[in-house]
Amino acid sequence: MHQQTSETFDRNAREALADVQLRGALRNLATTFGGRRKEAIATVEDWEGLRDRARAAKDETLAHLDKYLEQFVGNAEKAGAQIHWARDGAEACRIVLDLIRARGASRLVKSKSMATEEIHLNAALEAEGLAPVETDLGEWIIQLAHETPSHIVVPAIHKSKRQIAELFAEKVGIEPTDDVAVLTGAARRILRRSFAEAEVGISGVNFGVAETGTILILENEGNARLTTSLPRTHIAVMGIEKVIPKFTDLDVFLKLLPRSGTGQRLTAYQSLITGTKRRPEDEGPEELHLVLMDNGRSRMLSHPVTRQSLACIRCGACLNACPVYQQVGGHAYGSVYPGPIGAVITPQLSGLKQSAQLPYASSLCGACREVCPVKIDIPELLLHLRAEVTEGTAAGTAAQHGPVKSRPLERLAFGLYARAWSSPTLYLWGARVARLLQGAVVRKGRIGKVGGLLAKLAPPLAAWTEWRDAPPLAPRTFREQWREEQKR
Amino acid sequence: MFDAIRGHLAASAPHDAVRAAHHAAAAHGEDVSARDEKSAAVVFEGTAVERFRQALEAVAGRCFVVKDEAEAAEVLRQIAGQRKSQRVAVSDSPLAGRVLKLAGLPAEVLENAAVGELFDSDLGVTGAQWGVGETGTLVLESDAERHRLASLIPSAHVALLEARNVRHTLGEVLRAINERGEGGLSRAITFITGPSRTSDIELTLAIGVHGPAELYVVVIGGEGNG
Ligand code: SF4
Repeated sequence: MHQQTSETFDRNAREALADVQLRGALRNLATTFGGRRKEAIATVEDWEGLRDRARAAKDETLAHLDKYLEQFVGNAEKAGAQIHWARDGAEACRIVLDLIRARGASRLVKSKSMATEEIHLNAALEAEGLAPVETDLGEWIIQLAHETPSHIVVPAIHKSKRQIAELFAEKVGIEPTDDVAVLTGAARRILRRSFAEAEVGISGVNFGVAETGTILILENEGNARLTTSLPRTHIAVMGIEKVIPKFTDLDVFLKLLPRSGTGQRLTAYQSLITGTKRRPEDEGPEELHLVLMDNGRSRMLSHPVTRQSLACIRCGACLNACPVYQQVGGHAYGSVYPGPIGAVITPQLSGLKQSAQLPYASSLCGACREVCPVKIDIPELLLHLRAEVTEGTAAGTAAQHGPVKSRPLERLAFGLYARAWSSPTLYLWGARVARLLQGAVVRKGRIGKVGGLLAKLAPPLAAWTEWRDAPPLAPRTFREQWREEQKR
Repeated sequence: MFDAIRGHLAASAPHDAVRAAHHAAAAHGEDVSARDEKSAAVVFEGTAVERFRQALEAVAGRCFVVKDEAEAAEVLRQIAGQRKSQRVAVSDSPLAGRVLKLAGLPAEVLENAAVGELFDSDLGVTGAQWGVGETGTLVLESDAERHRLASLIPSAHVALLEARNVRHTLGEVLRAINERGEGGLSRAITFITGPSRTSDIELTLAIGVHGPAELYVVVIGGEGNG
């Protein structure tokens, strides 16, 4: 298999389509989580209203992000947290590394966090001779296998039970078994040792409450609770967009996130941590370090269309609902954020130049927008980014990452298309000409790639016709039939 | 970094003006959680305690509703007996202390257990500050009790909950905590809904991966304030 990057989405996707086991796993994901989600949202009376309120809370925060961040940081500091600012991933990794070094620590446990995946924190720590232990079962599996997550909620969804059993047999020496309870029990036993001796715990953050300086971490396994309460030092890495205004806003987000992600009313655990312990006899870490990371986020604030990307609460529902993700899985996107949300934030975080194919990795069917608990209009964002790709300028991203490869022929074709469809005369004339010409391209009742004249004549259009069929035009148009009806 | 944030927000201003239907303005400063509480409470026609029991059992937790502390002690005795518990870690909750004493378990009881001892305990007994009927959730506040680890490390957790502290919705509990003001917010608040679980292997549910595999809640004081 070749190195999978965002630049090679087309090739990655084709390889994934040939992987029968992967496609079975993805079908299971779509039906299981899709079905549970439907049942779970039926237990809420006003789902639409909740979505609107969550989005309003996010919009309010993002429109005044400076103010809310200041408030959040002030309150967290007052409660004893130490704040660190990271402009990019390298800076965030450096901060974490320095904190670990300054404490002479080497035993590190981690709970699942997309922010630390985004900045490749583990690789940065390993390069310095440290060995952070992932403790979420799915993350631990892919760490043992030296792979990357293929889903933002269930990172090892691409692996079968049998592959995991073989992996455990090889790496941790347990008898191969297809009993999931036995595999899970082995993970518990082995990781307990890591927890018992850990000096530093590293976590992500799901929500940061401006009003109180509280961080909330959501999970099912209990590993995040152990990571954030046993070690002496807790380091939490959070994107600057995680802030919400009020403590009671948590209610809305806790109704939406688990229902959308795994179809649960609530995940098994939420840890709400406000600073460090108050009295010496209290349990929990002595120190809490919050690493607030930009890494391309503030740039997204500069336009209302791109800004909505920052409302994402990483529930994973858009992945589960996406017909493209369901076929190709997470690795094809070549980025830590796959699926519809990945197709829009990866180009914005790492530059359109490296991921110009991603905004096209969608059929614009709108299933993602339909399920998104914070009503992010992902199709709108995809179109916005496609426009940047064809313009070749990519406002903001271009300045950072150089010009994007332009698609002038596609721009020309769509320009003509738009003109024809917006003028009644041109449309009527075009339809008449097309009907006369279509004899040359219709095969088996479809206009498609099979020996299609269009495909042969126009190479840039071939990219469209190769994978898309269009029904042929009717011999008489609706307009013509309507006029005749009226005359009778 | 604040300069970057402010700069980009300023750049967005003209685009924002164009987008007339911007719903943030409407919600400015509004408490977004306050609205649907009452409707959520009336959907369920029973007490908050009954609702709690049903929701907890739906996520593989066990719930016992008892009249008083003596009955709670009897339930605890049964649980410990069935599990053949050898070492029981108890939090510093006076209620838990009383119930444990009444139960008179034939096991070693550790008060104020050190972390190492907790790893060797097979049962943790704690109180809980709130219950949430709608989801079957326990709310643990660190200022009230040292139960952060005793509720987490042993393989089974028994939580004692007073019926009068059970509410219908999470929103009610969040508001009650918030209304106490700054000094009333514990440094660690933990929500617990059922035993530890994972679906990371082929989405197959497995119970008890890192946290307790068994969760028992004993609600004391009958029907509470439903
Ligand atoms: S974009 Fe919406 S649906 Fe997708 S992960 Fe984010 S919040 Fe969930």
